[in-house]
Amino acid sequence: MSGIEEGTSLDGEPGNAGRREGASRTTAPAYTTSSGIPLSAHYGPGDVPDDHWLKVTAPPGQAPFTRGAYPEMYRSKPWRIFQLSGFGNPEDERERIRFLLEHGETGFLMEHDRMTADHLYDVDHPEVVARRDDVGLTGAVILSVDDYETVLDGIDIASTYAHAGGAVVQHAPFANACYWTVARRRGIDLRRLAGTGQSDFNLTYLGCINKVQVPPRDGLRFNLDLIEHCTRYLPKWVPVSIAAYNAADTGLNAFEELGALMANAAEYLDGIRQRSKLEVADVAHGVGGVNLRTSMDFFEDIAKLRAARSMWERLLRERYGVTDERARRLRIHVVTAGSAMTYSQPLNNIARGTLMGLAAVLGGAQSLGVSGYDEAITIPSEHAHQMSVRIQQILAHEANLTAVADPLGGSWLVESLTAQLEERAWEFFELIQREGGYVATLDSGWLHQRASAGASLAMDQVENGDRILVGVNAYQDDVSPFEVEGFEGTTDAWDRAMTRLAALRRERDSRAAASALRTLEGACRSEVNIMGPMLDAVEARVTVGEIGDVFRTVFGNWDVPIVF
Amino acid sequence: MIGGTHGAAGHTCLDMTTHESHAATNLSAKERGRDPASLFEAARAGDRAALGRLLSLVERSGPDARKVSRLVFAFGAARHVVGVTGAPGAGKSTLTDKLIAVIRAEGSKVGVLAVDPSSPYTGGAILGDRIRMSGHATDDGVFIRSMATRGHLGGLALATPEAVRVLAACGYPTILVETVGVGQVEVAVAAAADTTVVVVNPGWGDSVQAAKAGLLEAADVFVVNKADRPGAEQTRRDLESMLDLSVGASSGRHAPEAAAKDPTAWRPPVLATTAVSPTGEGIRELWDAIEAHRRHLEDTGELETRRRRRMLEEARSVLLAQVASELQEAERTEGYARLEAALARREIDSYEAAAAWRAASGISPM
Amino acid sequence: MSDEPARILMAKTSLDGHWRGVTIVERALREAHFEVIALGMATAEEIVRAAVDEEVDLVGLNLGGRSAVVERIVAELRAQGSDVPVMVGGVITPQTKKRLESSGIAVFPPGSSLEDIVATARRLCEHSAEMKQEAQ
Repeated sequence: MSGIEEGTSLDGEPGNAGRREGASRTTAPAYTTSSGIPLSAHYGPGDVPDDHWLKVTAPPGQAPFTRGAYPEMYRSKPWRIFQLSGFGNPEDERERIRFLLEHGETGFLMEHDRMTADHLYDVDHPEVVARRDDVGLTGAVILSVDDYETVLDGIDIASTYAHAGGAVVQHAPFANACYWTVARRRGIDLRRLAGTGQSDFNLTYLGCINKVQVPPRDGLRFNLDLIEHCTRYLPKWVPVSIAAYNAADTGLNAFEELGALMANAAEYLDGIRQRSKLEVADVAHGVGGVNLRTSMDFFEDIAKLRAARSMWERLLRERYGVTDERARRLRIHVVTAGSAMTYSQPLNNIARGTLMGLAAVLGGAQSLGVSGYDEAITIPSEHAHQMSVRIQQILAHEANLTAVADPLGGSWLVESLTAQLEERAWEFFELIQREGGYVATLDSGWLHQRASAGASLAMDQVENGDRILVGVNAYQDDVSPFEVEGFEGTTDAWDRAMTRLAALRRERDSRAAASALRTLEGACRSEVNIMGPMLDAVEARVTVGEIGDVFRTVFGNWDVPIVF
Repeated sequence: MIGGTHGAAGHTCLDMTTHESHAATNLSAKERGRDPASLFEAARAGDRAALGRLLSLVERSGPDARKVSRLVFAFGAARHVVGVTGAPGAGKSTLTDKLIAVIRAEGSKVGVLAVDPSSPYTGGAILGDRIRMSGHATDDGVFIRSMATRGHLGGLALATPEAVRVLAACGYPTILVETVGVGQVEVAVAAAADTTVVVVNPGWGDSVQAAKAGLLEAADVFVVNKADRPGAEQTRRDLESMLDLSVGASSGRHAPEAAAKDPTAWRPPVLATTAVSPTGEGIRELWDAIEAHRRHLEDTGELETRRRRRMLEEARSVLLAQVASELQEAERTEGYARLEAALARREIDSYEAAAAWRAASGISPM
Repeated sequence: MSDEPARILMAKTSLDGHWRGVTIVERALREAHFEVIALGMATAEEIVRAAVDEEVDLVGLNLGGRSAVVERIVAELRAQGSDVPVMVGGVITPQTKKRLESSGIAVFPPGSSLEDIVATARRLCEHSAEMKQEAQ
């Protein structure tokens, strides 16, 4: 179904000067999108189905929102400049966030150390000790709410939208609770606090699988607890933000990414309906902030964002009968494809970041993160981060892109692709339902196999020269006077975290901490929403590893369906 | 280098090498080289690299493998060889991992042979069992070896029992052999254990598949793993009734007619496990059942009978492999080329061709 | 027997669970007639233990963190008498790449071709096999 049209002859092959030796095209150029939709040499009115024309007669800001989430788009709501950042110690993360905000970032994302945060390990856990020199490389080491206080010190969280960390499902309840606790202590009304903790299934169970983590069924329960809690107490907080980005960067193509996004949302919303404590309409807004990827297929990526809004509107209307039009509006955060960034000739990535960012803007994104030009080399240096912000500022202020909403609306090509992607994405959605639903396809490994097949296909195209990557399999000469040294962060993160951990254990009321953990364990074993006990545990200064111990005891480990 | 064909000669040989090997303990593995006798001596003294090399020799077959075979033969058998088999994805590795934990808690050292199929197209393989056994990755009392089935005829059936003997002789009395129960070879390997555990999952299709693959006959203990999933109880009942049915049949290892006469005969128990659960639900009971089967084998004398039968089976495998290899060798001869041409021209029939092939292989005529 | 597949241990040194890259390499190696022993995320100690017990012909490391672990693994392998060659892939800074290459380790940063990886694996495994022959 995702088959690339194969050319049959070598006739008409363009010159391959500069390609890697041995990398020669095996087929004639196949004119398709990256997901395999065939492309004609030109498009006309007949290429757009009638029912699709009908949809796009609705202006931006009106259902089905194909043309945009808001009527005036960037005139009234500029996209948020939102870059992932964090490494080393809490202080390092704070300085980088301040740096980005000073340079024009309009929201901030906290990235936590993958080993300790994603795995819920304290820094003295044997798995971490054995890799102590890696600690702090992929994000800041955050042991407890105390470290959240340090990171957020001097940052105006009342008015700045934040990603509080917790991209990984089992980490999200703790990360969210820490952030909210800091806000509460500052006297901020939680009902007005804006942000997200993400808690993404595609990252957790599809793209980046922890060595030890709670199984998807229990992760689903966490997310439903988060949705319930936020709907009641933090209505401006996006409790879970589905990051189809992670599905795409694992290998799903454009329509599979969309189909998986809808299937994932359906799993959450079905769960909410089954609990019958809240109406789907009440939670729709909270679940309707998602993350998609733009990569290097310009028009398909634009069409994908448009199709996503239209599909979301239909999902909520048809499957859940949500009548409030505003509750059917999807907001999209776009991250440009990290996997599109190349190791060789890294400055070329500035051009790639600009193109992918442009696609996001033309597709009507609400917020945008542009991958650093050093993405394939290391975590972003200060300069790479600055460039990501500058690219966005050039798009926002220099290129006159923001005056008109949905500038490509009515383009025969873009409308045709939008319609075709939507059709194929629904087919993929149905395929997932036939496999038992989104979570079932994670448990069985079906979705991993699909992603794997997509990734292999893309790799083959580069290997055999069907797809040109400048500086990688073609045009490898480089006279750049700039050498991009990999930024390596700090080297003292583990030592300093060990000191903080010892001090924390010494100073806190250990009986209160133990009691809070027991209460949390009780909640995990019952049907009580875990967020209340989690907030109490955070207040009692429990550590990330202690939370992990509770989860591991109660839920065990996911039986990962793939070998890697 | 090593003389004699029986145990005593093996010992003599070892005596000869002891002297060198004491000096060899201070040598690097590289300096020690790959001489089977000195490797064996070092491996018995606890040198893991040497044991790793011995197993490589066994796996590659050939003259060195025969030397290893002769060396270890005198050292007697493992205390208990347990086969764990079942369909891909049944949870065998996780189950094995948890069994290792139980055995280690009892103080015994454990050897594990984790066998996965080679790709029939490329001959390559991805062997991923160690991932799920990472809980014992650095335990000195555990030796895990991954093996691919490697298409060649009977190769695995030969290499596995040999590898089991090597592990046993080097201080691992309990040995778990994990295979994917999909083909005859794999089932045969699993059945070469003293106790064969067959793993299925909830869903009646699985028990039918197990029956088809001949796993029903091979099983001494059944496990319905992933028992927290729907249909576990039904699958258990299906297996029980299939076992009831097989009481009426005449073939198979459980000798049903004997079971009818002899109340002490073994009927495979059907257990339920959830190996991935935090507490490893059902694993303790599984190990108890495996141990009960071993005691049953010992008490009835069946252990010796089975092992004797297996040794004969091994000899048969050796012979078949030799014949197969000789037939293959003969394909390079002129005689083979002539018989091929004559067959193509229909001047001779299959029987005459077979006789000519025999002649080309040097196998004596019938 | 020369057609016996060479054995390669593949492991991830960090606790970063991105699996797509390493599985693509593992499959390419399987297609190229290698036996790949997949270890997943493992510590230096676990990697050395598996390399020794399995007597592999090559160790492939997927790096998701800092690189000092590579030198630790190589040193420990040599200390245990193993000459097994090591190749490394993953997100690796240019300065690290230079350093590792200068100590004879093959390095494959993002964008490396599978063809190159397989060819290098083949060369290193053949070298391994020769060393074993010599040792005999």
